[in-house]
Amino acid sequence: MAGLRIRYVRVSALYVALIAGCAGNGAGLDVSGRPLPPGGSNGGPLTADFASIQDHVFTPICTVCHAGGGAPQGLRLDATNSYALLVGVPSIEVPSILRVKPGDPDNSYLIQKLEGHAAVGAQMPYGEPPLPAATIAVIRQWIVDGALQSAAAASGRSFAAIAATPAPQDVLFESPPRIVVAFSAELDQTRIDASSVRLERVLGSDPSATRRIPVALAVPQGNPRALMIEPSTPLADGRYRLVVTPPPDTGLSSIGGDRLGGSTATPAGVVVTEFELAVQP
Amino acid sequence: MMRLRRWLLIIVPACLALAAAAASAEPYLAVQQGYACSACHVNPTGGGLRNDFGVVFAENAMAATGLPEGLPAWTGRVGEFLRLGGDLRAGWTRTDVPNADSQHVFGVDQLRLYGAASVIPDRLALYLDEELAPGNAHALEAYVRFSDAGSGLYLKGGQFYLPFGWRLQDQTAFVREVSGISMTTPDTGVEIGLDRGSWSAQLDVSNGAANAGAGSGYQVTSQVVWMQSGYRIGGAASFTQSDAGNRRVGGLFAGLRTGPVAWLGEVDGVRDDGFSGGARTLVAALGEADWLIHKGHNLKLTAEYHDPDRAVPQDQRTRYSLLYEMTPMPFVQLRLGFRRYRGIPQNDLDNRRVVFLELHGFM
Repeated sequence: MAGLRIRYVRVSALYVALIAGCAGNGAGLDVSGRPLPPGGSNGGPLTADFASIQDHVFTPICTVCHAGGGAPQGLRLDATNSYALLVGVPSIEVPSILRVKPGDPDNSYLIQKLEGHAAVGAQMPYGEPPLPAATIAVIRQWIVDGALQSAAAASGRSFAAIAATPAPQDVLFESPPRIVVAFSAELDQTRIDASSVRLERVLGSDPSATRRIPVALAVPQGNPRALMIEPSTPLADGRYRLVVTPPPDTGLSSIGGDRLGGSTATPAGVVVTEFELAVQP
Repeated sequence: MMRLRRWLLIIVPACLALAAAAASAEPYLAVQQGYACSACHVNPTGGGLRNDFGVVFAENAMAATGLPEGLPAWTGRVGEFLRLGGDLRAGWTRTDVPNADSQHVFGVDQLRLYGAASVIPDRLALYLDEELAPGNAHALEAYVRFSDAGSGLYLKGGQFYLPFGWRLQDQTAFVREVSGISMTTPDTGVEIGLDRGSWSAQLDVSNGAANAGAGSGYQVTSQVVWMQSGYRIGGAASFTQSDAGNRRVGGLFAGLRTGPVAWLGEVDGVRDDGFSGGARTLVAALGEADWLIHKGHNLKLTAEYHDPDRAVPQDQRTRYSLLYEMTPMPFVQLRLGFRRYRGIPQNDLDNRRVVFLELHGFM
């Protein structure tokens, strides 16, 4: 009987070895197992920009499942599709929450899934160890900074606001600690002052009747393409709009001198976002 | 109730006679015993809620020691028309990734509640598989099934797991990841199936995982299994049409019993047009040997292979697992496992080691 068992163990080991074959040696491949371009390298450390997060997290870890025609929840995280399917897109599992809400990592489903406290399902990456806290912190920082796309992608646009949190027509149930606006190019910080933007509360039914709310302005460290607008006191119930002052007064501009434009531009300024606040009792 | 007990008294000895020894709630159990999945599960394709036979088998044949005589135990039946069941998996995991600190995690991997209502016994049934943890409660399966007991045909509609290959307990197995069809990816659609004699076959039309929220596209999945008492072979295929790109998956799988060892094998191939750099062909394979050392004690050895792109050399991954599964008493199982991942050296995560201890309670 003992001899029979030893034989079974030996056969099992042989069977397993035949099936498993050998792992690749990775020659000529990047960290994701894709061929390196001529002269390419495996890149530098993880930083709080989208291209770096794509290269260090989404591509090598997430695309094991989230890629191709079978991507769970239709979420493809390969370099071509991930930004468009993440930023400002409602999650499938909890449609009331955006996958990435620029400026608001706590209410971004991506962060909730990575940290393991999403309302639905298991922590991501599924079946693998959770991402290190430092890695999640970098992704959080990217979202706080406005969740911008890569500089290369942004550079192809004219200077414009490309995302804002709260987003236009959002209805909030608590006062936002800050409003974050992401721009398509690096801001000229010398042109940012108290008159650059106005946070206005709309009074009554007349949209032209407004009251200005005092705010503080800041450019996040490490992301000169975002502007944080922090109300000096918590906002009360009501409707708010954020307006960028037009040239020639002060006016924001890119570091290359381009002035801000946009479809919502009026003589009174560029309306970047307009949202409703209805604080729950 | 008395009729049920008499019936159980008849089938329990039959179960024990058929069940050579203990096993665990996985497909190797079916291979070891020569059963169809539907012998123990309400779902014809296996997994989830256990039927009368499955509960009796778990109570009497799986564990190293049985319950004291006369001690009442769970039967799964709540009244005449309702069945309930559940699974809890909680444990400790240590992960060692090269160039990183070790991670130790205690967690509840899964708490699921199953329910089935026989609206018209043997004909019309409602089925629910509700995941209570992790996260908030949500349904993984929720469907209605109409069965024709005489012909073995059934029709299922709602949300359910698609049939493809071995329905493994480990959803992170390469064959499950690469095929994209597992018990983490239920889909919504209809299934027509046949479960008669040596044959089990299914044809499904569903939305497709990649089409979630998109409102277009579809997935067609089919599977055929031929079973004999000592072995079985099966084939499965799936086609997904989506805006991301079409996806074709094919798989062959087989099981064989040789003495105390059950062997499982599966090979899947995928042709996926949905990658931004062009179509890729992926291959995954699984080999598993389950050695029934003694009643209630199973040693599982698995080896897996994954080629994420056939056109790219030296990018393959492998995974070896060694698990000891002990079922000391009915409805409770302890699992101690070690997994070794091997992949390209520049990806630390693909070269990790995992040790885990899991407590599995089920009913």
